Amino acid sequence: MNVSDTATTTVPAAGEPRPLPSLPVVMWIAWFSMREMVRRKRLVSLGLLNLLPVLAVLAVRIFFRDEPITAQQQLTALTYDVIVPFLLPVMGMAVGASAIGEQVEEGTIVYLWTRPIRRRAIYLGRLVAAQTVAVLVPSLALVACFVIMVSKGPDVITWAFLKLYLGTFGIILLGASSYTALFAAFGTWVRKPVVPAILFAFGWENLVSEIPARVQELSLRFHLQNLVERPQVADTSDLPGLLGALLTTAFKREPVPDLQSVAVLILTVVVASVAGVWLLRHKEIEN
Amino acid sequence: MNASGAGVASGVARISADRVGKWFGEVIAVNNCTISVGTGVVGLLGANGAGKSTLFKMLAGLIEPSHGTVRIFGTELRRDVGWYRRVGFCPESEVLPGWMTGREFLSLSLRLMGFGKDEIKQSVDYWLERFELVDARNRRLGGYSKGMKQKLKLAQALAHDPEVIFLDEPLNGMDPVSRKQSIDLVRELGAAGRTVLVSSHILPEVETMTSEIVLIDRGKVLAEGSVTEIRDKIPEHPTTVALVSREARRLAGFLIGCDHVKSVELESEERVVVRTDAAVGFYRALPGWVLENDLAVDEILTLDDSLEAVFQYLTER
Repeated sequence: MNVSDTATTTVPAAGEPRPLPSLPVVMWIAWFSMREMVRRKRLVSLGLLNLLPVLAVLAVRIFFRDEPITAQQQLTALTYDVIVPFLLPVMGMAVGASAIGEQVEEGTIVYLWTRPIRRRAIYLGRLVAAQTVAVLVPSLALVACFVIMVSKGPDVITWAFLKLYLGTFGIILLGASSYTALFAAFGTWVRKPVVPAILFAFGWENLVSEIPARVQELSLRFHLQNLVERPQVADTSDLPGLLGALLTTAFKREPVPDLQSVAVLILTVVVASVAGVWLLRHKEIEN
Repeated sequence: MNASGAGVASGVARISADRVGKWFGEVIAVNNCTISVGTGVVGLLGANGAGKSTLFKMLAGLIEPSHGTVRIFGTELRRDVGWYRRVGFCPESEVLPGWMTGREFLSLSLRLMGFGKDEIKQSVDYWLERFELVDARNRRLGGYSKGMKQKLKLAQALAHDPEVIFLDEPLNGMDPVSRKQSIDLVRELGAAGRTVLVSSHILPEVETMTSEIVLIDRGKVLAEGSVTEIRDKIPEHPTTVALVSREARRLAGFLIGCDHVKSVELESEERVVVRTDAAVGFYRALPGWVLENDLAVDEILTLDDSLEAVFQYLTER
């Protein structure tokens, strides 16, 4: 067989070749990218980090078995204090910031770039894969938490608990997706996204979400915590007058409608994705 | 020598760059380059850091020119990505997705070119066989040697039978046998009417593939065309000439001190090697010297019409 015999192609010989349809391409890239991402070594450390809520539930189950701590209380506290402010930003950062930026830096994006596929299909394929991983890992931890909680007895499974439990999956889905989309755009924009991403996740998000009035709405954490069913005002009843008043003002969380928070989080995904696609389209593949 | 010039290789230009330039901050990587390439094999030659990789990447649509336009089939690849169906690209970097197997990598490459399942299988089998990678087809790319990676990179660039092929340092890390096979393949592709642009800093490598070259140095195209054409455009180019003569000793004695002659060496009793710094003047004067002085010259051989000599002269000038 010589070169001219290798024409096994269906590529049109004349006319203007069109890019491949984006949807199947996104699915193919997502599938292969996901397989790549789950093989990364950092996923092991992320998996270990996600054992935090599981270990906490296990500790309660073993050491506080006679305390009147309900499964609902445990789940709410874990979501509010561990999953939302820590695990979701970390997951988003670890898989999002590297989703596209790392491929560009390594140079392996060349093998996608030189195909007849739209840049948005490359970006969205990688992003969907990263979001799936970022959602799956904490979700698996949540499943493990559920198993430990219900091992106490069938009376744990109430309608209110199930509602809360399923709602937590929704929070993980929204939170991991929005953080991942944001950090993916970030990673496409700057060459070394880790430091700025950490500053955003644990600087901006920590600070802004605690500022009273509407400023706190500028953080993703606020909207995610807003979706967790929990009293929103800090309990300062034991503190003396002025200090109590100050703290109440300082930590006052003014809830917004759930729908608004959901809309903000979805909008974050959309805006970050559009920005990321734009950035990738103008990216130069130097390696 | 002008940066612009007649198109290299034959036929209508499939690759054209019009006064393209690229700078990174204050560094000018490519400066005002104009080239056009038709069908056949063309070598893009330059030392490391000459700017050939940047030019190559601009041509392949990987980076945007700071000024000027690059067109493949008359279109800009960065805008009309559908044209990548007709383009194959083999990058210089040897980084491949290490977690994939060779078969998976080639299959995905073809899948993303729009091929169906049966076509993918047929093509993957053919190219694995052709590059002798059948035994390693199910091995992860992380475990491939440099030469194997190079072959796989070539395979993914060629598997969809493109009309325009960019090969950036394609023979790096290959063993001699694979090197020979790849050189033959590139020549075959050129003979079959494909446009193959091969970037390399190793001159003998390019010489074995083609005589059509684009010389680049310090971001500028120094010359383009066939080695002989380029050579002929440089009248003051130093040349080494061997003169075969029955009276070599007498001839050598005469030539010492003649105009345009830099040095004379009596290589054997039948052969004199002359180095001249003005080839055209030397060739014009030689018949007169021979006739007027009754010298015997049976044969004239130009010894350094090689690509290396031309390249060395142009880049040092």
